Amino acid sequence: MQMKTLLEKSKSIVITGHSVGGALASLTALWLLSYHQTIPTPPKVLCITFGSPLLGNKSLSKSLLRQRWAGNFCHVVLKHDIVPRLLFAPLDSMESHLHFFLQYIQLSMISQFNQLPLHVSQEMKSQLFSFALAYTEAVAKVTNENSVAPGLFWPFGSYLLCSEDGAICVDNSVSVIKLLHLMMATGDPCSGSYLEDHLRYGSCVDKLTFQVLMNKGFIQGDVPMSSYEAGLALSLESSGLANQETVSGQAKDCLKAAKQIGVAPPNLNSARLAITLAKITPHRAQIEWYKTCCDKSDDQLGYYDSFKQRQASKRDNQVNMFRIKLANFWDSVITKIDNNQLPHDFHKRWKFINAAHFYQLLVEPLDIAEYYRSGEQYRKGHYLRNGRERRHEIFSKWWKEKDVVEEESKRSKFASLTQDSCFWARVEEARELVEKVRTERDLRNVALLWEDIEEFERYAREMIENMEVSCDVIASNSSYSLWEKQVRLLRSQVHS
Amino acid sequence: MEAHKLSPTKLYICDKARSSSSSEIIFGFSGSWDLSDWFTHEPFGLTKINLNIFPSLKTIGWNKAASVNQGFLQKFDALLANTSLIHEVEAAATENKQIVFTGHSSGGPIAIFATLWYLEIRNQKNLSHLPPHCVTFGSPLVGDRIFGHSLKRQHYYQHFTHFVMKYDIIPRISLAPLSAIERQLSPILNYFNPESPVYSSDAIAANPEASRLFLTVMRSASSVTSHAACKFMGCTNPLLENLTNFIELSPYRPFGTYVFCSGNGKFVMVENPDAILQILFYSLQATSQAEWANMALKSLKDHLSYEHEFLKSNEMATVAYLEHLEALPLSEHMGESQILTINNALNDLGLSARARLCLRASGELEIQRARNYNKISSNKIKIEEGLTMLERYQTNCEDRKVGYYDAFKLQKHTEDFNNNIRRLELAGSWDEIIEMMNRYELPDEFEGQKEWIEIGTRYRRLVEPLDIANYYRHLKNEDTGPYMDKARPTRYRHTQRWLEHGLKTKPDPLPESCFWAEVEELSIHTCNQQFSEDVMQRIILLERKVSLWVENRLLGKDIFLDGTTFTQWWNMLPIQHRSVSCIKDLFHMDSPVFVGHI
Repeated sequence: MQMKTLLEKSKSIVITGHSVGGALASLTALWLLSYHQTIPTPPKVLCITFGSPLLGNKSLSKSLLRQRWAGNFCHVVLKHDIVPRLLFAPLDSMESHLHFFLQYIQLSMISQFNQLPLHVSQEMKSQLFSFALAYTEAVAKVTNENSVAPGLFWPFGSYLLCSEDGAICVDNSVSVIKLLHLMMATGDPCSGSYLEDHLRYGSCVDKLTFQVLMNKGFIQGDVPMSSYEAGLALSLESSGLANQETVSGQAKDCLKAAKQIGVAPPNLNSARLAITLAKITPHRAQIEWYKTCCDKSDDQLGYYDSFKQRQASKRDNQVNMFRIKLANFWDSVITKIDNNQLPHDFHKRWKFINAAHFYQLLVEPLDIAEYYRSGEQYRKGHYLRNGRERRHEIFSKWWKEKDVVEEESKRSKFASLTQDSCFWARVEEARELVEKVRTERDLRNVALLWEDIEEFERYAREMIENMEVSCDVIASNSSYSLWEKQVRLLRSQVHS
Repeated sequence: MEAHKLSPTKLYICDKARSSSSSEIIFGFSGSWDLSDWFTHEPFGLTKINLNIFPSLKTIGWNKAASVNQGFLQKFDALLANTSLIHEVEAAATENKQIVFTGHSSGGPIAIFATLWYLEIRNQKNLSHLPPHCVTFGSPLVGDRIFGHSLKRQHYYQHFTHFVMKYDIIPRISLAPLSAIERQLSPILNYFNPESPVYSSDAIAANPEASRLFLTVMRSASSVTSHAACKFMGCTNPLLENLTNFIELSPYRPFGTYVFCSGNGKFVMVENPDAILQILFYSLQATSQAEWANMALKSLKDHLSYEHEFLKSNEMATVAYLEHLEALPLSEHMGESQILTINNALNDLGLSARARLCLRASGELEIQRARNYNKISSNKIKIEEGLTMLERYQTNCEDRKVGYYDAFKLQKHTEDFNNNIRRLELAGSWDEIIEMMNRYELPDEFEGQKEWIEIGTRYRRLVEPLDIANYYRHLKNEDTGPYMDKARPTRYRHTQRWLEHGLKTKPDPLPESCFWAEVEELSIHTCNQQFSEDVMQRIILLERKVSLWVENRLLGKDIFLDGTTFTQWWNMLPIQHRSVSCIKDLFHMDSPVFVGHI
């Protein structure tokens, strides 16, 4: 409740916590982010944890990426701190260790001046260390990311890994695990630094801000000539692993991998997409031209039926190819959105809403025609419920959700494109209804069918009256006109 | 020479120091030590610049005005209004003297504004007087990125030289938000004020408050520079984007030529603004924790040591010029002979490998811009080919006696369709250019280049009518609204502004390329034969413009052909209006209206 009143007042919220508090902070932030989806102008959320244990599995990490929430989480982890690594171990084998550990932490928190409790044996310390290290190592060694057990804990968000020499920020979860392992492996099991580090975050933050201001980063030894290599060497130095001969090679590879994962940033992608869109638009114009030709043709079939009943002529094949190319383009847009490669407000940008809408109005009728032409409805069922491509669903949603409220204005001519892109799918369903009426014996069912037919009839009439259909709908040999004739015939039969 | 420029700046408001021998005239501006003159409001005290006085200081395409420090701008405005500066500058200009504006500390921004003001007058009136110079010493930052961008585009960059002592805190002070430094800054400003009792007093400089100020400024500078570096190095971490929602970073950016003085008589010159920003931070880093207190002291003292520095180094100054940033040596020890001076310069500034990497990246960015520009230039031939084809189409239409616009709107022939494809291809090329400009991926000078203004105008005049035809052919106005208000693509808006900027004219709400949009809108408004006052005025305005356009050959005569949308609409207008219209004689004489009814 307190949160909700806060939300109304504030523009941005920072949530933070140490140790288990860090995990709680992450959960709170997750709750906030989910809650935000239901309110119009949500405040910004940033969650910073210090030495937080792991919170969720790989699915959580993945879905955070998909929701574009990974950037809202920053986990600060000290070089040797055991807590963020502890949960790589399975719970059942951990109990005794955990008990020891918690007791230790509790005691050191109580004892002032950080005097360490005396009764902790060296043996216990090193046991716990090697236990946690072994499991972290096991996870770090997993080469195939997809074979990870669903029960295993997995990091999400960005990790800020701190050492005495600086800090590095990594957001690729595989690299995070590997670095977590490598940094811990350099620790001394007996010194207990892995325990003390967990309580050292206060001074760590101060130190970090100073480190940034210090004139550091003169690389030891040979300086690589290429900027890329030099940059790598610098981040290696910051990780504090540069001088640890056993692991520095591995750490370097791992940093390389972390860097490679980061492909082009979202806004660059969207800019490139704008260019591809401009290049693909001529295909759309080709289809427009095709539509005009069909609508004017003497056979009076109209756009939809011409394409549905097309022969193997060169032009028809070409149009079909343009249709497929456009579909590929828009599918690639959707894949990019799914993979988080586009800016978060992408689906609110006018250019793309309009382009997608226009594409849909023009090409979805062809997709429907292709569906019914190849008899898919017998295999899968009707287009609307079973055959509609995901892109069309998404574009309809964009169009419906767009911010501007449209003023109602009367059309003076038939629209150049039918405003309901699924109009023809509805016609196809209505055609089936008419077929059924013919064969149905049960009078009750016939009445039900007639109700559906009349419903469609009302819908279609309204569309036509408001001029929201394009002229191909009322072409004298179009599926719709034929259907209307059939219905009229059927009615007269019923009455006579 | 340099040194005696400095002294008057501190003591007098706008005193003119005439150097006896040369034909130079120097205007020195005094600073202010009142905090409210430095930062007028939180967080950074910026305001949009007045485009009436500084018409060029904006992005042309998007028409976004540059932001500058409001306090300094107000001081300058007052100076302009209340003193005889204007007359004296004009007098000096007519004598064709080399004018130099100069200022130390907060006098620097005044000198910058004065120089800009004069450059803009020169530019607007096409005066041939010598361009002014601006020399500042330890000046705080003045404007944002658009400010620097527009100065570079106008070729004003070379007139500005900023001297900055290695440790001077004032050139970095605007990188911190007011709220963080407000408390400490007032006493520090007194330290710089020659009339204050605590002027240059060690008691202030050694005060812990001073080192707190220093640390705050350093921290903010660190955030600003690392964020900038992440941006141009292409960092993809989503955290970066999210963090900028929480921390508002200073938008101030350096511009012009910076000369860093390392304090031992050596000077380093840099021109790349991204690199300057990085140096402003990295040259201030300390090598050890113990150095901090001392650094704070130095950061204040350096601000007052310009005079001393120049007296000392008058004769034996060595200047290193930092260019080819992308290939800078990364380590202090790399000492091949040809890069030795450069490396020494970098060492003098105390730049670490990390700093050098950032400088390299900023150099790389500049190269990338040049590469993008080459790519676009190679595309130009293709654009020109497309335009030539469309011009041929235009002539063909005229031969067919249908008019360019209507032929395209009807889309009856294959030729019409092929040109629709051509239109879309051209739109693709232009959208790419606009998109690059928007992300500062082209050289700053791009929008002011004559050849691009020309081809942009040719493109707009030739192709925009087709876009309008397409728009009204598909009745998109019934979904979206009038073309001019709702649907005019940025590629036409921008190219129009390029031309208007080039010709220094006012923005035209109805340029010749939008003639057909106005015709379409007016025919919709008048289809019920009712003419409101408002619509009548629009009609008269359009007619007046049409006669001008036709006279200047900005519109083809084909618009008056029988059966064009324009002729049809015009013939529907009431006869009382048509008989006195200024364009009545332009329609073809065989048009029945004139023969029959008058």
